[in-house]
Amino acid sequence: MVVGKIISIFDISIEVILNSDTVKIGDILTVQDNREYSFEVVTINNVSATCISLGSTRGLQKGASVIKLSEGIEFEYSDNILGRVFDAYGNPIDSMKFNSVNKKNINNNTVTLKEVDVNADILWTGIKVIDFFAPLQKGFRMGLLGGAGVGKTVLIKELIHNVYASINAHAVFVGVGERSREGKELYEEMKESNLLDKMSIVFGGMGDNPVSRSKSVYSGLTMAEYLRDEKKKDVLLFVDNIYRFVQAKSEIATELKQLLIENGYPSDMSNDISKIEERISSTENGSITSFQAIYIPADDYNDEAVQIITSYMDGQIVLDRKIAELGLYPAIDVFKSTSKLIDIEKIGERHFKLVEEVLRYLTRYKELEEIIAILGIEELSEEDKRIFYRSRKLRYYFSQPMFVAEAYTNIPGQFVKIEDILIDVENILNGVYDNVDESKFLFIGKYHE
Amino acid sequence: MDDIWTSNLKDTVDSIKNNNNVYTTGKVVKVNEYNVEVTGLNDVTFYEEVNITEKASGYVFGIYSDRVIVALVNIKEEIKPGDMVYALRKEFKCLFSLDSVGKVIDVFGNDLIAGKRFDNLVELKVENPPLPLMDRGLVKREMLTGITGIDLIYPIGKGQRQLIIGDKKTGKTQICLDTIVNQKDKNVLCIYVALGKTKKEVKDIYYELTRRGAASYTIIIASFHDELPTRTYLTPYVALSIAESFMLQTYDVLVCIDDLKKHADIYRQISLASKKTPGRDAYPSDIFYTHSRMLEKGCQHRNGGSITILPIVETKGGDITDYISTNIISICDGQIVLSSKNFTKGEKPAIDYGLSVSRLGGNVQDDNMKKVGSKVRIELLSYLDVRQIYELANIDEMSEDLQRRLREGKVILDNLKQYKFSPKTKKEMIDSYKFLTEKNAK
Repeated sequence: MVVGKIISIFDISIEVILNSDTVKIGDILTVQDNREYSFEVVTINNVSATCISLGSTRGLQKGASVIKLSEGIEFEYSDNILGRVFDAYGNPIDSMKFNSVNKKNINNNTVTLKEVDVNADILWTGIKVIDFFAPLQKGFRMGLLGGAGVGKTVLIKELIHNVYASINAHAVFVGVGERSREGKELYEEMKESNLLDKMSIVFGGMGDNPVSRSKSVYSGLTMAEYLRDEKKKDVLLFVDNIYRFVQAKSEIATELKQLLIENGYPSDMSNDISKIEERISSTENGSITSFQAIYIPADDYNDEAVQIITSYMDGQIVLDRKIAELGLYPAIDVFKSTSKLIDIEKIGERHFKLVEEVLRYLTRYKELEEIIAILGIEELSEEDKRIFYRSRKLRYYFSQPMFVAEAYTNIPGQFVKIEDILIDVENILNGVYDNVDESKFLFIGKYHE
Repeated sequence: MDDIWTSNLKDTVDSIKNNNNVYTTGKVVKVNEYNVEVTGLNDVTFYEEVNITEKASGYVFGIYSDRVIVALVNIKEEIKPGDMVYALRKEFKCLFSLDSVGKVIDVFGNDLIAGKRFDNLVELKVENPPLPLMDRGLVKREMLTGITGIDLIYPIGKGQRQLIIGDKKTGKTQICLDTIVNQKDKNVLCIYVALGKTKKEVKDIYYELTRRGAASYTIIIASFHDELPTRTYLTPYVALSIAESFMLQTYDVLVCIDDLKKHADIYRQISLASKKTPGRDAYPSDIFYTHSRMLEKGCQHRNGGSITILPIVETKGGDITDYISTNIISICDGQIVLSSKNFTKGEKPAIDYGLSVSRLGGNVQDDNMKKVGSKVRIELLSYLDVRQIYELANIDEMSEDLQRRLREGKVILDNLKQYKFSPKTKKEMIDSYKFLTEKNAK
């Protein structure tokens, strides 16, 4: 049934003059003679509906008749999602046959306070700097923050390699506004190592329009919820990268001529973020542990969107350009990276005290660096010299060869147990390795025999 | 003004009566600098090609209930309110000729050096939809530049997007030209896109490439600042559309875009003129998408063809963390950062080895290059770090290990110096670092 006609088109924003009162917000409309074009209704008044286009609007005609397609974007809600790759609207894009069994609207879900579950076990990642400074437990939301090109995606991939491959969990990967090349690589790698069967992937790539990019998050959440609520599994949710969701929302808000807040963000940004982050929760059915890469625009850590997103995180790992510049990967800023587990009651006194001591050393090291730049290293006191040399060893020690980076570095990856990390760190701090050259600590796993 | 509205209504009624509505027509009601507002055009499609009598042409940029905005790409004569507008019932496309190789062209079918129009023109879509994920292959073939600091340490692969970023006068364009010249006899089609460069600069580049025998496989596409901004905005998209049509025929294509900062500024100008709400630094919110969908065209196709893109971004004061730079860094597969400090010190190419990155790294190198490259990179970065700290220290009191690192580091850095247009082969690169690898083998 024809519900209206198109009267205005401006990029992805479309206005439809209505001749029917059956249209609601969230409905999907399409052009009667050409189903290539479809739109989601954003606002309605008694004569017209403003819509955003799910795809390109090039070639769309003024005056075209519009019909209603569905009551919102629906995503497969069955075992058929396993091992498959979808676009943001639930269409498979891995060129294999697909039978739909059951579909579910991607927007209608939330977890109540009653359902949220907060108790869980610690989850070791085998990455020294994460397990030592920002350990996590099942059900955590971990943010991986970094500016452009400091190693967020490599870290996400290493976590997939270490965590997903080693525990018996299901995984959902959501690519939001990221490179298609990396998406294809992830798919090939998972297929090659036979890890695809418990993984579901959704992509809204950086070449896709903003609606597709923002919807991919809701679609990914729907898949994770299926695995948690219907299959009663522990789920790992990898999102690369959640900032692009906000960015896509800003683009849509601009096209809809809404009033924007600082730096062009939409005024309802914090509401949007809350709606998706609260869906990433554990219930008694199963847990969702999420790793969310967070892009820092213009290296501005105080960016409004970044600040809102990180307020939902149980832990955060911050990547720093200055450390990447030294070639020390993963380039983690240990002063800003922490988690809710860094608590004497949760990780034990030994680990906690060591973290404190290492941070004390590295803080002093920073100060000493400035002194050395002016006076030279010889002018330091014996105590400061000790701190200086041991800190350099610590800094090198927390670099690590990664499995997924072997192709770049030519060094095989290492999974390091927490007990080994604690012993090594203790030894460095106590001066056991004072006579060892610092370069011996660069890109290794554990040091002690 | 009343006249226009009445006559427009009369025209429409007449054409319906006579049933001779070959084109949908409209009339200009407002003329802006590079767009016009039109009434009529009642069933026009978005992005349709439009002529304004014989005076100008453009495409449909926005459709409202009562008027249509037409972006102009070509103005021959001054447009006046009341001029007739014809919609051509087809998507706006650009023109390209296969004779373009070795020439300087624009994207509307003109040979700019000869100053005439090509004869055998084909129409090309400004933009094609993104390539399906499964049509992409893995990037693993090398694209050699002949520059040691790039090929060995931060290699570029066919299908990769490697940003070249740095201040004015740090040799950004030179790296592109070196790369183009180094593709001789390698079956790579090169496209150099000059955006907002001066006419003098473009002519210099044309002569330079011709003199070095690179013209036979290179197309230079130029758009200048004194043209309509819409033309400059469209040019890189069309350049990639051209590249895409060659990639689909299994060609390897290299596209250098010089530079995207100017493109961003032009897009900002157009957006603000069309009253889009400005965001950070007054750029519109979709500035990321503007570049991401453009650079996503760079890829390895599973049919064997590829598009490698080397976009250039000019920075100020060596700051690569500003909005546009970080956006583009986050889209690309790595960046070559050029530093003016290195440039003035005579360390040319002036690559900042700490800030440069290749996200594909060893994936695109052969085993030998990979082995030597990763060794050189680690030793070099550790030298640059150590050098800073021990700058004031007494060398005789240092440990044996440290002295060796400082000594070798200096040689590593020296070996990376290279004059322009003096490419090295892979063997020469590997040989110059024998002292590192052989010692390791012992």
